[in-house]
This record gives sequence, C-alpha cells and structure tokens, in this order.
Amino acid sequence: MLSRCSHVMLALLLVLGVVLVGCAKRPATTQAAAPSPTGAAATTPGATTAAAQPSSGGGPTSSSGTTSGGTTTTPAPTATPTNRPAPSEFAAVADLKDIHFDFDKYDIRPSDAKTLDGNAGWLKSNPNHLVLIEGHCDERGTNEYNLALGERRAKSTMNYLVSQGVQASRITIISYGEERPVCSQKTEECWAKNRRAHFLVKPR
Amino acid sequence: MSVRRPLVLMLIVSLLTVPGLWPVAPPPPAGAQGTEVWIKATGSGARKLNIAIPEFTVTTVSPGADAGTAGKLLASVAGADLTFSGRFSVVAATGAIPVNNPDALRQSWAEFAAAGAHAGVHGLVALRGDRAEVEMRLYDLTDPDHRMIASKKFELPAAQLRRLAHKVADEVALQFTGELGVADTKIAYVSGPVGAKEIVMADYDGAGSVPVTRNGSINLSPVWSPDARSLAFTSFRQGYPDLYRVFPFERRPEQTLAAFVGINSSPSFSPDGKSLAMTLSVTGNPEIHVLNLATGVMRRLTRHAGIDTEPTWSPTGRQLAFVSDRGGAPHVYVMDAEGANVRQITSGGFHTQPRWSPRGDLIAYTQRAGTHDIWIVDVDGSNPRRLTSGGDNQGASWAPNGRHLAFQSSRLGRWQLFAVLFDGSAPTPLTRGQAESTSPSWSPRLP
Repeated sequence: MLSRCSHVMLALLLVLGVVLVGCAKRPATTQAAAPSPTGAAATTPGATTAAAQPSSGGGPTSSSGTTSGGTTTTPAPTATPTNRPAPSEFAAVADLKDIHFDFDKYDIRPSDAKTLDGNAGWLKSNPNHLVLIEGHCDERGTNEYNLALGERRAKSTMNYLVSQGVQASRITIISYGEERPVCSQKTEECWAKNRRAHFLVKPR
Repeated sequence: MSVRRPLVLMLIVSLLTVPGLWPVAPPPPAGAQGTEVWIKATGSGARKLNIAIPEFTVTTVSPGADAGTAGKLLASVAGADLTFSGRFSVVAATGAIPVNNPDALRQSWAEFAAAGAHAGVHGLVALRGDRAEVEMRLYDLTDPDHRMIASKKFELPAAQLRRLAHKVADEVALQFTGELGVADTKIAYVSGPVGAKEIVMADYDGAGSVPVTRNGSINLSPVWSPDARSLAFTSFRQGYPDLYRVFPFERRPEQTLAAFVGINSSPSFSPDGKSLAMTLSVTGNPEIHVLNLATGVMRRLTRHAGIDTEPTWSPTGRQLAFVSDRGGAPHVYVMDAEGANVRQITSGGFHTQPRWSPRGDLIAYTQRAGTHDIWIVDVDGSNPRRLTSGGDNQGASWAPNGRHLAFQSSRLGRWQLFAVLFDGSAPTPLTRGQAESTSPSWSPRLP
C-alpha cells in the first residue's frame, strides 16, 4: 500500500523566493506633492473633472470641478477638441525652418535660436497665420518617454517664439514622439534629422 | 472499438532520469481547493515534471460538427502551454487512447511511465454543434495503479477550442503548483510599421490575432484593465495623442478617457480597476495624473519641471513607480498614491518603461545602453539584473503570475514579441507575423 507521500516524489524543489513583498505601508500624510518649481501650481487645479464619455457623444467635455477636499473650485483644463485645431488643417511653408535637438535634450541650441529668430520674424510679419509646432524624437529611447520628450521640445520651441514676440495664442503644439520620423536609417546622421521641431501654418 | 491504436512515444525532454534521486518533499498540504501542491519550484533551474499528453479522445461528435483534428490540436496546444510554463517536460505521442477501454488506458500509461513520465493527462472531447466540452483527467504515473488524481470539465463555444486546451493546461498547473497557469490569457499589442500602428490582441502564445482598433491612425500603449474586459490606449485618431478605452469582447462603444490640450498618454489601471493613472501635459509639462473612472475626478500627482511619465501601480495600489528625468536622464522613481514620498529606484544610465510585478517584489524596466534591454530590480532599488540579450529589447509586460514577461525584440530582424522567465531563462518567441509587433500588454486571467 502506497502512501500519498510517495507521490510527492513528483515534487520539485528549488523554492523560489515567491515572497510577496508587501509595499511598505506608509502613514497617512497631509503632505501634498512638492510645490511646482514652475509656479504652475497656482493655476493648476488639484482636482478637476475630466471627461469620460463615449466618443460617439462628439468628444469629451469638461466642466468645473471641485477638489476632492472640497476646499477650492477651480476651472477644469480645457479638454474640448474645439480648442485644438485639427493638425490636418496646417500646411508647411518654406520660410519656416526646422530646428534640431541633441539626444534626450529639449533646450534650444544657439545655432537653432538663430533659425527660430528667422521663424519668429516670418510669423510676426504674417500675423494672420496660426502655427502648429510638432515635436519629434529619434527612435532611440522608448515611445512613451519620447512622446513626453517631443512635447518638451515643442514647448521649448513655443516658449522661445513667445519670447521673441509671437503671440502664444497663435501657437499650438503637438508631440509625435518617435512615431513620425523623416529618416529611417539607423545612423546618427538620420537620428539627428529626426530630433526636430517642425512648423506648419494655417490662416486664422 | 476493439483494436487499440498504437501509441508512439515521440519525445522525452527530461532533466530527470532517476526519480529516486529527487529530494522528497514534505507531505503535501491540502490546498485551498483540495489541491495537493506538489511542485514548489520555479525558474528554469528547477527540474521539471514529465507529463504525458496523448491526443485527446473525441467521444462525441454531433452531426455537422467537425471532429477533424480536434484531439491532436488540443493535446498539442495544452502540451505547448505546459512546456512554456517552465515547470513541465511534455512526453508527446501520436494516436489517441480509445474510449471506455481501461485496459488500453492502463497499457498506455505503463508505456509512458516506462518512458519517464510522472503524470498523464487524458482529455475527452465532446463536440456538440457549436459547443465543445473537454473533460481533463489527470493520472499519477508514479503510482503503479496509475491513480486518477484530478478531473475537471470545461465547456466553451466550439470556435474556442484552443482556449479549452489553455484551460486544461492551467488546471494541470494548478494541480501541481497550487496556482492556476497563465495560458488562458491574451496579449494586446501594437501591430504595424511606424506611422500606421493599430492595436491587436491574440492568445498569450500569439495565436489567433484579431484587430482591436481599425482607425488608420497611430495607436500606442495598450494596457488591460484588471477585469480583462477592456483596454486603455493612446491614439492620434482625433489628431492629437488622447486616451481611449475599448471593450474588445463586447458590443460597447469606445470611450474617450482624456483629451486635454497636450499629451494624454501612458495609461495604467489601478489594481482595483477604479482609477487610471496617465500622463497629461495640460498643465504645461508632462505630469502623472490619476483619473477616477467612476466620478471623472482627475488628481495630479507630480509637480516637477522635468518629464514625469509612465506610471505603473504596485499591486496593493498604495504606490506607483514612474519615469522622471529630474535627475538629468530618465530613471525610475516610486511615490505613494498621493504623490508624496518620492524616492529614486534606479540611477546611472537611461531607464524607462517601469512595470511593477504582480507579486509586488520587483520592478521591470528598460535600460538603454546603445541598444535596449529588459532589466528587473527589487522595489528598494537593489539587485538590478538584466533579463534579455541579443538585438534590441523593450516594453516588458508581466504575466499575471509574475513568472513570465512579454517584451518586444528585434533579435530576429523586425520587431516581434517574445516572453522570458523572470530569471532571464527560456526566451520564447510569441509572434512570428509579417507585421512589426510591439508594446505587449499581458492580460489578467480571463474571466
């Protein structure tokens, strides 16, 4: 008569440390996130009501929301697509030149600042045009991070144009991350072309 | 049927030859569901249990149903699932055990046992119109009487035959390890070249891919909800990178989750499914936010001048890991769910795509050093180790048991999905398509 234990011969050992490390329980804290060094916190809602509705309804809307603490009522971020001109309505114009960025950087290089000065001059002398700034990355790095990096490149570019006197209200930015390269080879020359801010315009 | 079809043993891939050399485990405790836990091992270093899976026996075929190759397919898929698990070596065979023939069954198991099998799975298939039922019977072949140690029936639409095989494999894993396998899961991923990326989903092993989006735009970063019923993803389909949710198994309209000015990206469901962490730049800079899916209330968690993106929840929901370039280059940080107590987990190098393990003890991430590789690190930042090599490797996603990770690799040319065990062993291709396959999200176990 065999005992059940004999079946245990099937067992394999090498027990893995399948230790479920519980995340360190932290005491409740009233500390909010660190203050924004950009000062944006003053105009940023701590809690806002976001859209979460079927797209068949014609796109998201947003409305004023109250912070979860109920202490302040702040305007929601503008979420309606009507505030965002369709990128497809913009077209390239030869007078607006691309600028380029170093790997994993979003600061404006001195030589590119000269290019942007020229672009700012064109925009100021063509005040009836709106401009779309596209931020792009090379394929290195990973795509969600590059979406954020492209956003920063477009934003830096916008900030520079505003500092040169172009009205911020004329400028829309979009990041394509690494999703819209102009050059597909895996060479530094090609990657350098892809790390760019690109300009498109449309009449107001 | 009086003549027994011969069973031909095909292969025995076994690290074990002499059972007597095996360490004897303590008496198995009764499992939560009356399951005896026999395997307490994981990783590829463990010796494997040899399991025989002859062709399933088709017992019933209603008029109009196609028996065809069902028995072969079920055994083959279940065998591949158990091999993939890293815990079993499959002893395959051709020919099915005849129905209701105890002598033939005994003879078959004796042959398998002689060939080194420790356990045998006998599947009985009934095809009734558009329904298919499989009964799995599990036998202990180390017992001279070949005692049956478990049996279970599964029923699904006949079109989901592979899924029945996955369920059998997961049940076998449960019987021997105390934990359901992960074969009955899906992988959602991005398919297509740069500029034309759509979301698709397939069985975890890459079979049966079906489109999830067909909008002709750029779709990125699919991620499953914890109930495995919906996917959130980033899409440019309205011109800008916005966040959407689809219900791929239901007739239910796509939802727009976030369409604020700037980027709306990098979705991650909280473990309770009630919230979605994401990256928004509506405040002027990419920051981590959390959307309460029931109330629509959006909370901002990070406030930093640099890039903050790619949130991933701890399985308790009390913390999130994320990527920030606040240290000069992107690294992995952890904060609590209120955004406080930020601490840096990785340093040096270039680290993105953090993914918190469902077991809670590890964070996978992607390190760039020329090319990219998948690494894992303990949640306190110690013991970083590389899991992949060869080609470029990105975008890890944990299986729900925390043992496997899916990722995209260029090691064979174009991007394809692979899986690897958490100790870096057993890299296995999942997709072999003509299209580029990237950004996998491994679903929870299907309901």
